[in-house]
Amino acid sequence: MGGAGWLFLFAVLMAAGLLFCMVFFIIMFSDLECDYINPIDLCNKLNQFVLPENIAHAFITILFLISGQWGSFLLNLPLLAWNANKIRNKAHMYDATEIFRTLGGHKKETFFKLGFYLISFFFYLYKMIVALIAESE
Amino acid sequence: MASPAEQLPPGWAAEWDATHQRYLFIETTTGHTQWEPPAAGSAETENAPPAGVTPAGGHGKRRQYAAGQTQAYYGGEAAPDPAYGQASAGLGVQQQGGQLFTPGLAAEGQFANQQQIAQQGGGTQGGYYGQGEPEYLNQQPQQYGQPPVDALANQFGQMGVGGQKQFSLYTTNLLTLPPDPRDLAQPPPEIRLPPNACISPSPTANADPSYFRSTLNAIPTTSSLLSKSKMPLALVITPYRSLNEGEEPVPLVTDTVIARCRRCRSYINPYVQFIDGGSRWRCCLCSMTNEVPQLFDWDQVRNQPGDRWQRLEMNHSCVEYVAPTEYMVRPPQPAVYIFLIDVSHAAVQSGMVATATRTILENLERIPDEGERTKISIICYDTSLYFFSMPPGSTDSSMLVVSDIDDVFLPKPTDLLVNLAEARGALEVLLGRIGEMFQENTIIGSALGPALQAGFKLMTPIGGKIIVLSSSLPSHGAGALKNREDNKLLGTAKESGLLQAASPFYKTFAIECSRTQVSVDMFLFSSAYQDVATLACLPHYTSGQTYYYPAFNAARSEDALKFAHEFGEVIAQPIMLEAVIRVRASRGLRMASFHGNFFVRSTDLLAMPAVPQDQSYAIEVQIEEAITIPFVVFQTAVLHTTCYGERRIRVITAALPTTSNLSELYSSADQIAITTFFANKAVERSLTHKLEDSRDFILQKLVDIISAYKASMTSSGAGASAQLAISENMKMLPVLILGLLKNVGIRQSAQIPPDIRAYSQALLTTLPSQLLIPYIYPTFYSLHNMPPEAGTIGEHGVILPPPLPLTSERLERHGLFLIEDGQTIFLWVGRDAVPQLIQDVFELPSYDALRGGKATLNLLENQFSQRINAIVQKIREMRRGVYYPHLYIVKEDGEPPLRLWALSMLIQDRADVLPSYQQFLSSLKDKVNGASGGY
Repeated sequence: MGGAGWLFLFAVLMAAGLLFCMVFFIIMFSDLECDYINPIDLCNKLNQFVLPENIAHAFITILFLISGQWGSFLLNLPLLAWNANKIRNKAHMYDATEIFRTLGGHKKETFFKLGFYLISFFFYLYKMIVALIAESE
Repeated sequence: MASPAEQLPPGWAAEWDATHQRYLFIETTTGHTQWEPPAAGSAETENAPPAGVTPAGGHGKRRQYAAGQTQAYYGGEAAPDPAYGQASAGLGVQQQGGQLFTPGLAAEGQFANQQQIAQQGGGTQGGYYGQGEPEYLNQQPQQYGQPPVDALANQFGQMGVGGQKQFSLYTTNLLTLPPDPRDLAQPPPEIRLPPNACISPSPTANADPSYFRSTLNAIPTTSSLLSKSKMPLALVITPYRSLNEGEEPVPLVTDTVIARCRRCRSYINPYVQFIDGGSRWRCCLCSMTNEVPQLFDWDQVRNQPGDRWQRLEMNHSCVEYVAPTEYMVRPPQPAVYIFLIDVSHAAVQSGMVATATRTILENLERIPDEGERTKISIICYDTSLYFFSMPPGSTDSSMLVVSDIDDVFLPKPTDLLVNLAEARGALEVLLGRIGEMFQENTIIGSALGPALQAGFKLMTPIGGKIIVLSSSLPSHGAGALKNREDNKLLGTAKESGLLQAASPFYKTFAIECSRTQVSVDMFLFSSAYQDVATLACLPHYTSGQTYYYPAFNAARSEDALKFAHEFGEVIAQPIMLEAVIRVRASRGLRMASFHGNFFVRSTDLLAMPAVPQDQSYAIEVQIEEAITIPFVVFQTAVLHTTCYGERRIRVITAALPTTSNLSELYSSADQIAITTFFANKAVERSLTHKLEDSRDFILQKLVDIISAYKASMTSSGAGASAQLAISENMKMLPVLILGLLKNVGIRQSAQIPPDIRAYSQALLTTLPSQLLIPYIYPTFYSLHNMPPEAGTIGEHGVILPPPLPLTSERLERHGLFLIEDGQTIFLWVGRDAVPQLIQDVFELPSYDALRGGKATLNLLENQFSQRINAIVQKIREMRRGVYYPHLYIVKEDGEPPLRLWALSMLIQDRADVLPSYQQFLSSLKDKVNGASGGY
């Protein structure tokens, strides 16, 4: 198996991990709505995952850039910019005092990311298979 | 009613007399003339001049104004006319009239007629200003004309919309009707519940407006109806308001029989239904059937069967229960107060330390401490922390200095937080000494963050109140802040950044505080930038309050007096500890968002470590599903520990009828509550978006309301119209919104320092309506020509002069005027004031000898001075809250900043880029008519 194959195998695994991360976020948000968890604990818990999630995503994107996978890189670029902008404005962490007012927005964003990771999961899978076939020919 | 001529009995003629500005009535046969309308004539003809003529002489007794363009505009204000006929009890109950506005009612004459009626609705008293002091405006007309009902009665019948519940909708044209400050004192629209909704005949069965107000006193049945009307649906609650003298305390249910619904957990109230012979009750919120508790009909005090209809919770909308142990997570805590006193150079120099310690000393007696359980501690700080150890029983105290502020620790495990009663002696000695102890302190800098952490550590196991006194920007240790004031940013889009918290410390610390039941009050004194916006976060999320005394200097006795009064009141206030508030509502309604000082702990639970008195909270309500019941119930429950160590639940129940009728919706709108809600909304928006967005948002809301009203309630529909119509009960809304747009908190200006703005925003979000409305729409009195009875003691205390509309047209060069907004009082002296007036009021020979600025009025040996002092005193006392307004003397040709500040209170005037009321209205009209026109 060559470079591209390995790369996309890794990307598939990462996408799966991020996917689970987003599912976890959504579950936590609905817990908050049902009053199973208080906002302080929620924010403490989720804030641990925010930066790792962003870094993991940035890492794959940069891997695509280095290995010259332009299509995949461009696919990830908007989200990377979005995350970077949030970190730059120091708005990436969940704020327990504002969480109920911003909950709708957070949920929307998380759902969007969930969808994005799902699509990229299958996209990477497809790319991996394509790469493997290309190699074996 | 274009002319009264048609209304006269046969043989009479009316002629307009331009010199006397009233009608002259002539008996044509005899030639006899008289000013009074002939007996059979309609009473209010006198007040209805032909269009274009000013009835300024109608109140010739009071004042004579120069005629002029604006005068013509304000002329319609002529309200207290003694010639009015029989009294009628205000708008809400004019049922016999039934002047429903119909979309077909477009004829000018009829429109004018309606306005006529509208003006007469001038107002029953009380309501908004609370029961104890209904006499906010003593000059209200006592007599009103009997509306000319007959003419419109037929129309009412034809429409077939009769029925006793029906609200009557009166439309007014804003363009011809100037705002009358007296309208603000009117009670909110009456709540008309269906018959038999309430099982108690008690008048207190529905919540008083001082506790609970709704923007709509008739709840729309569907959300589409609400969105069609464009009206906001929100509640303004003040669950813990102070009681005035003579008011009944909140009734207390002591037998711990607490009947609650099994499903929605609401408390039993006067709106439930007893079924199955009284053995069960049906919840009015969720229709669940519940068992009546066995002891409900048992009088435990006398040990005999009791009468459930006599129970307090069945007769009062606002009750308190003594809570049994199920409602406690721990035994009731004692009240704990920790004072953090800044003793850095600046604080000592300004005299703050001396004033504060003296005030604490003087108020030790007043600190709530009934069971002798209250604990107290004093920590001083500059760049180090100074603890005071006070062993019980001795009068000695020893100071312990901690200069390691990176990792705060308590120098001693005991005797730092002492029992107030036991350590009284030591405290008194200590408080007397702190001032001189730090007199020579030259350390500059403030370790506020570490001091907060120390106070927090000290009270963690119990919780309570930390009272911070700070004179400078925190500069050392955790929570240090940078001076980010940048005058170049003011007035730009980036300005809202200065209103947001600069450091996350104050938010995370606030969350920790909220968890451990610690509340923080901030008293800020700096003359330089202090970042009020960031520091105010702490009170905001821990249900405290921020008090700001810019450039405090105790050498000025006015400053010292104001601070000492407010600080003393805050210390002496009985507070609620460890409180949570939950608002429940009938099915289909959901509390969507919350505004005020608290931490939202779950979707509908507000956590408040300590509830101060007279703070108001605004809650936006969403209609989730169509409401099918005839009335809905809102129930606010506050579970708290009193500062006397008793766990209690305060329950405030309010029932409001539902409606599917748009006109009823409009006629039940409460302009005061709407403004209060919009003030909260505007501040929220200025933080999340930009200041400009928040102004646009509020303005757009107003335009939407008026457009929707025009489209659905007037004949012109969606087309252009020469009128700007709104319902009678909302006619003050545009001027209130204008006041809000011109308030320091969100005004468009590049001159307002961010500290002042942030403080004003803190006030806008916490003040109860009673204080907020004057803060938005100040009160304006003319003193030099006030009626003879003003300033004397009347039936309800000191009589105030009649309020004037807020426009400088009313300022006269020889006059003495008073403008107040509840936070400051301005005494405006005209430049041609006669020496006698200056001599009488200020004890000075002439106007030139008078100096502007903060002042104290001396009580002099003449009647005029005594009356003015009485009025100032009354203004300082008549509202709830701890605020003690400063008195400024403003000379007409005095220092420009002070003069402009005073003039900025006259919100109906044009100032800078801000429009005058007429300009505002015409821009509103353009927007409503869809034309392109801006302001």
